[in-house]
Amino acid sequence: MTARRAWEPPFIQPHRHDVSPFGRRGVDDDIQGAIAGVDIETLIDRWGSPLFVASEGRLRENVRRIREAFASRYPDVVHGWSYKTNYLGAICRILHQEGSWAEVVSAFEYEKARALGVPGPRILFNGPHKPRAILERASAEGARLHVDHLDELATIESIARDRGTVIPVTLRLNFDTGHTEPWSRFGFNIESGQAYEAAVRVKASPHLVLTGLHSHIGTFILEPRAYGEQVRRMAGFMAELEGEGHDAITSLDIGGGLPSRNALQGIYLPPEQAVPSIDSYAVAVCGALERAFADRPRERWPTLIFESGRAVVDDAVSLVASVVGTKRLPDGRRAVVLDAGVNSMLTALWYDHPVRLTRPVPGAPEETVLYGPLCMNIDVMRRQVRLPPLAVGDRLVFNPAGAYNNTQWMQFIEYRPAVALVGEDGGHSLIRAAETLEDVCRPERMPAHLQTGDGTR
Amino acid sequence: MNAPLPFDRGWRRWTVGITGMNAIPDNPGPGLAVARCLRAAGFDGRIVGLGYEPLDAGLYHGGLCDAAYLMPYPAVGAEAQRARLGEIQLAERLDFVIPCLDAELTTFVDNQAALRAMGIGSLLPDRRQLAARAKDNLVALCERLGLPVPRTKVATNPAFFDTCESDGWRFPLVVKGPYYDAAVARDPAEASRAFARIAAQWGYPVLVQEFVRGYEVNLTAIGDGDGGMIAPVMMRKRALTDKGKAWAGVAISDPELEALAAKLIEGLRWRGPLEVEAMRSDEGLYLIEINPRFPAWTYLTHGVGRNLPEALLRLAAGERLAEPVPPAPGVMFIRYAEELIVSPDSFRLIMVDGALNAAPAAAPSRPSRMFG
Amino acid sequence: MSTGTQRVLGELLAVGRLQAFAVSAKGFAFDPRTGQSFSINETGVRTLELLVETGDVARAVERLAADCEVPAEVVEGAVTAFVHQLGRYLA
Repeated sequence: MTARRAWEPPFIQPHRHDVSPFGRRGVDDDIQGAIAGVDIETLIDRWGSPLFVASEGRLRENVRRIREAFASRYPDVVHGWSYKTNYLGAICRILHQEGSWAEVVSAFEYEKARALGVPGPRILFNGPHKPRAILERASAEGARLHVDHLDELATIESIARDRGTVIPVTLRLNFDTGHTEPWSRFGFNIESGQAYEAAVRVKASPHLVLTGLHSHIGTFILEPRAYGEQVRRMAGFMAELEGEGHDAITSLDIGGGLPSRNALQGIYLPPEQAVPSIDSYAVAVCGALERAFADRPRERWPTLIFESGRAVVDDAVSLVASVVGTKRLPDGRRAVVLDAGVNSMLTALWYDHPVRLTRPVPGAPEETVLYGPLCMNIDVMRRQVRLPPLAVGDRLVFNPAGAYNNTQWMQFIEYRPAVALVGEDGGHSLIRAAETLEDVCRPERMPAHLQTGDGTR
Repeated sequence: MNAPLPFDRGWRRWTVGITGMNAIPDNPGPGLAVARCLRAAGFDGRIVGLGYEPLDAGLYHGGLCDAAYLMPYPAVGAEAQRARLGEIQLAERLDFVIPCLDAELTTFVDNQAALRAMGIGSLLPDRRQLAARAKDNLVALCERLGLPVPRTKVATNPAFFDTCESDGWRFPLVVKGPYYDAAVARDPAEASRAFARIAAQWGYPVLVQEFVRGYEVNLTAIGDGDGGMIAPVMMRKRALTDKGKAWAGVAISDPELEALAAKLIEGLRWRGPLEVEAMRSDEGLYLIEINPRFPAWTYLTHGVGRNLPEALLRLAAGERLAEPVPPAPGVMFIRYAEELIVSPDSFRLIMVDGALNAAPAAAPSRPSRMFG
Repeated sequence: MSTGTQRVLGELLAVGRLQAFAVSAKGFAFDPRTGQSFSINETGVRTLELLVETGDVARAVERLAADCEVPAEVVEGAVTAFVHQLGRYLA
């Protein structure tokens, strides 16, 4: 197998004046042979490639650090674990053990949180589609309902009326912070008066009571001041309502959107330079809260809820992929085909995930395109990354890869890979098995008249 | 402040790394002008040109640069920049570095302490000061310091331009990138095109600024880090290239501009070179941009007797600076193009080794790894 | 070996294009007729030498396969692609 290394097909590449051969040079000895202390080959031997690997230690450390950033600056803080970011049961369980509530956005997620044993009152129920049946269940179980539109409000009211009870609700708000593009399709707009109207509607109903305000300003927010402005706007709206005799608001939920150390496409500098520290967000949020509530007694400060997902889980999960083929593109770039593509790591469409080799590979690093296994042009894991000449069987580690992949991955022409967990004691276990033909076909049904026929006539 | 700068040798004999060696005639980087200022000030140490592209003219300018190296783009990150400067340092023993490009300031600022530990000094702002003057923070800064600034907003979506008039934004508008590039757009279609072009090259945020009718005035100076402004030089463009860059300019004396810059430097406690761009309109003076580096027209500072690159090195060397000579309004510069002759070997060395005329102490550590 | 590949090589050699191609040890190549410069990888530099020396694609493949301890059919495919690349760039 050593000759394989020495052989690289002959190649000639014309120079371009605007492309520096040194321009993309990073740090060449960027090797990662282990995840949380466990040799990657050991993990692949056990569960195959590609493989997602989660680090329990990193996950716990992340959530503690992020919660502490806020809790050390504000008296009453709740972290809601954003299920959609990664709702593998083991991941959720770890975060619930750490004291995080469940933040869910659909009937499925609600049911999953309950199945994991999360009590209703520790579930934050967001999302624009909550069918009546799940609202009936969630309200009976004491979950916090975050209302997205007036029709939903009417459904909740009718449930309460039927039961002869009062259901507390939180209104989702949207507004322009001046720093981010407003997500105006969710919740009630402040500037247009919709939010005020919704609050008046709640107040007028004998079956509803407004206890919370919620908003989510976007995703991968790189400007901490956007959160400061968000808090200022929410607290202003809260004071306006309270000033008009509405019931006291007991919680402010600022949503999520905190970035991880991933490289969002379209941001010039790498994450090390572009992504502010979690503390700078906590300073912006808690500083704005303190200013907003300076003139009221501490016991009347609302609970601060934040729903960070990406910043908690992203770098706690890696994706290990293996080279299955190599080629030269007609324009001269090296290309590599991997066994994992955007089917497993959909976020590669928006992020240039940092990637490392698991062991040193000799040879000159060059711009390389990393393709996945799909027969589709969009299946690109990295459009350009400097790597030495790779060969079949070489492994690459993508990290961060924990946010939105184990939930958005697709079963398109391939099986979804296994997910392993490296425990704090260095032990490793499977938390989701690789899919099999049986898994994929289980929900299918064959009508009687199609029971036979295999293409041979 | 780990390794002290070599005061014993005197700044005139330092080895100084300078970036911004690109010099496309209608839009040159500031590096060559900075190097010329140093030579004009009697600097006889070594100047090491640090370039990003193989046709950065300064790399081949033997009269100005004694050696030249290609650097990784700032987009690759601070670690890559540090690693490359570490390699260069083995050969060159740089005493000081003058970054001259907006896009690289963040990585140089983040690397300040690490470079100092390698023996490379610099005179730069800190991360907080750098961020405070960024284009998306300019309005907040000006509000804090009570300075007039045109209405500016971060635009994340070109759809903004279709509805912005209802929010009181009147065309023409100026669309700006986070580091470079600005375009005056007369209608939503032009603005959307500029938005797409700028976002594709420089990423986000893209800024939208109210257009101020009037003429542009510029000032360059050094902040001493304690709030003091050193040797301001002011200029008005007299003739523009197609890209809106000055190809001729004249030194002016505008006390209001000087006061505005002094207030900025004091308010930020700015450390290092900077350029202030302002618009003078019928209503007064508006700040439109602060660049954290010397401008391309830096050679005019030598022309008016306030050689700023020289002052920078003197300051770094701990010298007490003499009172600057009075500014000399009326002194002009006219930029012209000149061809450099580049030998095939020079171009080959830049392309293959990423280094030209490296000091003999040590060759670059991995010269041939770029190619198979 | 396809006769097409040998023909491309033959044409390049007949007009002296490959011989005039100045290649440095580190893989920097310059074509004096077009002014275009290139990077050539190590195998490419060696292949070019063999092509000029033997004037014969099959013999170059044979020697390269022996040098690199790689099966001749693997080398043949790669060298064919390389010769066609040369033909395109030096056309």
